[in-house]
Amino acid sequence: MIRGSTTCPPAGMNKIMRANYLKRFLLIIWIVGLLVIMGLGAAAAFQVFTKGLVVTNLSDLVPWGLWITIDLSAIAMSAGAFSLCAVVYLVGLKRYEPVARTATFIGIIGYSMAMLCLLMDVGRPERFWHGFVYWNTHSVLWEVTMCVGLYFSVLLIEVLPIIGRSDWARRSFPRLSGVMRLVHHGAPVLAFFGLLFSLLHQSSLGATYAVIQARPAWYRPSITVLFIFSAVLGGIALTIFASMLAARLTPKANVDDRLLDTLSRFIGWSLAAYLYFRFWDAFAITYTYQPGRSEALQMLTQGRLAFNFWFGEIIFGALIPVILLLNGRFRRNPTLRMAALAMVVGGVVAYRWDINMVGQLIVLTYLPQQILARYAAYSPSLIELAAGAGVIAFGLLAFTLGVRGLNVVDHAPARQHAPKEERRRVPSPASAD
Amino acid sequence: MKNYSVERRNLLKAAAAGIASVISLRVSRGLRASPPSGSSEHKWAMVIDQNLCIGCGYCTLACQAHNDVPPEFHWNRVIQAGKVGDQDVFLPRPCMQCDHAPCVSVCPVRASTKRADGIVMMDYDRCIGCRYCEVACPYGARVFNWEAFEGENPAVPEWGQPEVSRRPRGVVEKCTFCYHRIDRGLANGWKPGVAPEATPACVVACPVGARVFGDLNEPGSKVNQMLAANPYFRLREDMGNDPRVYYLPASWDEQDYES
Repeated sequence: MIRGSTTCPPAGMNKIMRANYLKRFLLIIWIVGLLVIMGLGAAAAFQVFTKGLVVTNLSDLVPWGLWITIDLSAIAMSAGAFSLCAVVYLVGLKRYEPVARTATFIGIIGYSMAMLCLLMDVGRPERFWHGFVYWNTHSVLWEVTMCVGLYFSVLLIEVLPIIGRSDWARRSFPRLSGVMRLVHHGAPVLAFFGLLFSLLHQSSLGATYAVIQARPAWYRPSITVLFIFSAVLGGIALTIFASMLAARLTPKANVDDRLLDTLSRFIGWSLAAYLYFRFWDAFAITYTYQPGRSEALQMLTQGRLAFNFWFGEIIFGALIPVILLLNGRFRRNPTLRMAALAMVVGGVVAYRWDINMVGQLIVLTYLPQQILARYAAYSPSLIELAAGAGVIAFGLLAFTLGVRGLNVVDHAPARQHAPKEERRRVPSPASAD
Repeated sequence: MKNYSVERRNLLKAAAAGIASVISLRVSRGLRASPPSGSSEHKWAMVIDQNLCIGCGYCTLACQAHNDVPPEFHWNRVIQAGKVGDQDVFLPRPCMQCDHAPCVSVCPVRASTKRADGIVMMDYDRCIGCRYCEVACPYGARVFNWEAFEGENPAVPEWGQPEVSRRPRGVVEKCTFCYHRIDRGLANGWKPGVAPEATPACVVACPVGARVFGDLNEPGSKVNQMLAANPYFRLREDMGNDPRVYYLPASWDEQDYES
């Protein structure tokens, strides 16, 4: 392999070895730290499963809190998978294939994180399969359930070739890994179904909020579109960010900066468009007073969520990254680009949190004289924070192991050509050996 | 390479055809489908007279005793809703049993369903506890079992026992118009709304007769008489949920006459 054949001048040998030891040490600290957080999360989850959701700060007025935000954000971050797979296999821009591979791996991590969150969040996790058996086709949440199940299956199949192509699988299970690599030839079909289910999923997550008439802050069609839009942005941004970070930290990862540069510029333009839509979405509320909705905008711009809205969503979530990603000089500076991409991700998470909270914190009265907006309160309990941190630590650990063991961030040209050779070998049935 | 791109085009064509056929199938079926209508012999409704309600909370207590509802839950909440003259006005709020119930539409597993006679039912064995219905209900009529309800229920008197079994942890519960009493009454030939055994517990327990229960499909029923003779309103009618609970508003004149 190219990576292994780096020759060093003898004089610098000592220095490099020391740096390698330091890196190895930091990696072990990182993994141990994540395992500790996961342990704490597991302890918190144990509390939830034994005592019930009473250990959370959720209430009948605010029944969806931190975990739902993590769930929504994890799903949003998985959107890089379907969008990049569609770009590669349906639009035909083959050169982005290695980026799509990373995105697919992040996608399956994101969906696993989301399912872990939901497992804790629903009152009867052992009945998770009810959605697949007792269909209520009127329910957006039923659609969400089906999309989670179906798209996770697609992701599982899409990930097979990634595992099959790794050195570890080739060495340990040569026959099985050969079969797993064959799945790659179905990639266009998988990309199609991935696009279908994932688009449905992202939009219906927005619609889950948007169809609720009882919560005027949510009851508008724009949320659905903004959810897809921001998910694609955040998903691709996280994919690029994670790839660049991995390439900086370990020689096991390497990136083709031209691909990432183009994608980052795409994110910059899309983010500007997103900001435009987001502005009108908020601005439209100011035209008339509508109970609940007007208070919601006030809460976002001046009230309890104002910091989150202005700094998380608008200034750091959109304005600054737009400038950094659209200016060529800034964008070509890796540190600035990574900062901008991280801000995009943060902005998408902030948007999910704001949308989820604003509809629930404002409760409309139903008394006949006048419809008044009342305010509910929520801040996550320690158990919720610990369990949420555990889920996030799981995601980070999975990605770390993927980078190290499965080479999920690998844009090296040699690797890129590997699948092509295999394709030529397909027709002979005995090639599996 | 060429071979590959042809495969992609064919795939896209097939996909477009597939989506088009699925959509056209759905649309044509949607045109034919009739809306789910409550075509039943009965159409249960409740009328609550705000002139009479004194806010004593017996309805809530009776509800808790009959349905084994924990003390901190209220399937039926009595709300102080302002004043008319110098008299306090109360608004008892059971489940509205909406004809277009948002909770029924949003439930991902059909645990909330609408019976033909109009009662919105909860299947506690099917509910997964996602709490979407709580978010969707404009009346706050639903409560979630955040923990297991254990021990004695202080609302249950020592000479009686609840008629409904306790719900497990992790499901959403709500008022059911005491459907078990209605069904039992109909099976025994007792008339719901007239015979106490076949009438919701809150209606039976009300000491001032502020609640009336009956069948909107029956022309001469008490609920129909009251709705014909009095002005009435329903909660959040603007949302188009068509609640089955009607309120007779407290009026200034009547208060004067009575005192």
